[in-house]
Amino acid sequence: MHNEWVSFINTSVPTANAVLVQPQGTTDAATGVTTPGAGDSWITVASEEVKAVCQVLKDGEHQFTTLHAITGVDYPTEGHIEITYILSSMSKNSELLLKTRVSRGDGVKLSKLPSVVSVWAAANFQERECYDMFGVLFYGHPDLRRLLCPDDWIGYPLRKDYVVQTKYRDMVINPANKMNFQEREFGARHEHIAGASTSVENYSVPAPVKE
Amino acid sequence: MQEKHRKEEKLKTELLTISMGPQHPATHGVLRVEIKTDSEIVTQAIPHIGYLHRCMEKHSENLDYRGIIPFTDRLDYLAAMNMELTYVMAVEKMLKTEVPVRAEYIRVIVGELQRIASHLLFFGTYAIDLGAFSPFLYVFQDREFILRIFEELSGARLLYNYIWIGGVWNDITDDQIKRIGTFCDTLDESLKKYHTLVGENKIFISRTAHVGIMNKDMAMDFGATGPILRAAGVNWDLRKNRPYSIYPKMAFDIPVGTGEKGTVGDCWDRYFVRVREMHESIKIIKQCLAGIEAGPIMGKVPKIIKVPKGEIYMRTECARGELGYHLVSDGGKKPYRLKVKSSCFTHVSMLPAVAPGLMIADLVATIGSIDIVLGEIDR
Repeated sequence: MHNEWVSFINTSVPTANAVLVQPQGTTDAATGVTTPGAGDSWITVASEEVKAVCQVLKDGEHQFTTLHAITGVDYPTEGHIEITYILSSMSKNSELLLKTRVSRGDGVKLSKLPSVVSVWAAANFQERECYDMFGVLFYGHPDLRRLLCPDDWIGYPLRKDYVVQTKYRDMVINPANKMNFQEREFGARHEHIAGASTSVENYSVPAPVKE
Repeated sequence: MQEKHRKEEKLKTELLTISMGPQHPATHGVLRVEIKTDSEIVTQAIPHIGYLHRCMEKHSENLDYRGIIPFTDRLDYLAAMNMELTYVMAVEKMLKTEVPVRAEYIRVIVGELQRIASHLLFFGTYAIDLGAFSPFLYVFQDREFILRIFEELSGARLLYNYIWIGGVWNDITDDQIKRIGTFCDTLDESLKKYHTLVGENKIFISRTAHVGIMNKDMAMDFGATGPILRAAGVNWDLRKNRPYSIYPKMAFDIPVGTGEKGTVGDCWDRYFVRVREMHESIKIIKQCLAGIEAGPIMGKVPKIIKVPKGEIYMRTECARGELGYHLVSDGGKKPYRLKVKSSCFTHVSMLPAVAPGLMIADLVATIGSIDIVLGEIDR
């Protein structure tokens, strides 16, 4: 099924450069045991052609009439953000993860993607959320504002290197007297127990600000 | 008509901007809708969301796979069992875990009971939105039974943490099965009574028929799912079209909006689709109660869960529509990224398209009929 979609995209949009990615099995170097890959396959396309690809996927024979979500994943070490378009077709009963990559930007200038609002109206809020959380600009979007965060918020929260600002307007964020440090201490105390949750160690909370 | 009137009298008029919410009882939570009105008629509605944003997606990047389950409860707190089930199924599919048959049966029973509880709450609050108070009290008696059963099963009334990776936490007893069976029979009868009381009421019909029409084209364009899509006349239900768990064994129908009292896809259709869905859920529960078999309730799951590298998009049919989790794993103890695709989020984005031309009171009826839960929208 995926191979069919890839050749369809490549014939319809020759510059799309669609590639099929399947889950890879991993081999343990020490024991030589191979674990088969798990999960879904996906198709990657060139970022400039996203809109054209979406248009043919919707109008073409495969009828991807529904856009479920547009979401991002940040890979800071590779230096890019992966944007996933989750599409599905009701008439053909199929599901597709369409991916593209954009650079993370240099902190001032954000990278750009063509907006697909004209293809599916569902993209409106999804792209706004994606811009809000990852800092990717969608050009051609009718109303690109932050969605979940306030308009004057600084930073893009779902990036891996995000550090929350210390002050928002007159309010102190994460004031020391309101932080639950006991929870972190619990994690640290029980680290020796196998399976105990030590999950709070990576919170990027800045040093408490004294008023 | 109004334009003509204005020209004749040369009145200077301007649009009035009203903020509906965030603390407004008719918006079912902290939703703010900025509406521009021409006297009583809405010309533009802009939803502002994010007041209940609790960074669930960011939190889950720092939690282990079991620790996320209570967080999924808090997304849609009125249908927490459904939220858990989808997440757990996503992880199980990545781990290739086998779930015992008894656990699958229990999951479907609690899932369908939860759907009934959620729809009953919709029934009550929607009647309140339209000015009828007593149906709210009736349905809460029935909802109370479901919450008590959940309390016996999981120890909590609203946020359960009951469905675990590999199975369920606690077994269901024969006594509970018997009581659920009796409850289903009585509910089947009383639902008909409630529907005659509310749905066939003349005032209710005139408030909801032909109001807030979301037709098929609009629903497909916006990616609507669940009762909204079915009320628009599209026969699509994941339990039937892409079956999961033990749904292939179940016999049930998918209610679709027909425009019985007004136009296809109006508020009354959305209301009636939910009422009929409750009857279908009762059918499913009865089949489950008859077919449940003895056995273990927990499959084999490693002590520390490490999901293999890869990605998955898992979606199931929840009370309010399709819920999807996009799980990205790098092979570690925590997910690299967990995206929640919420159906209410999609539905609230339809408001700007459906609102222009409605009266303010009809906008309240429309927001009530799409049955939003802000916990799921803002995450």
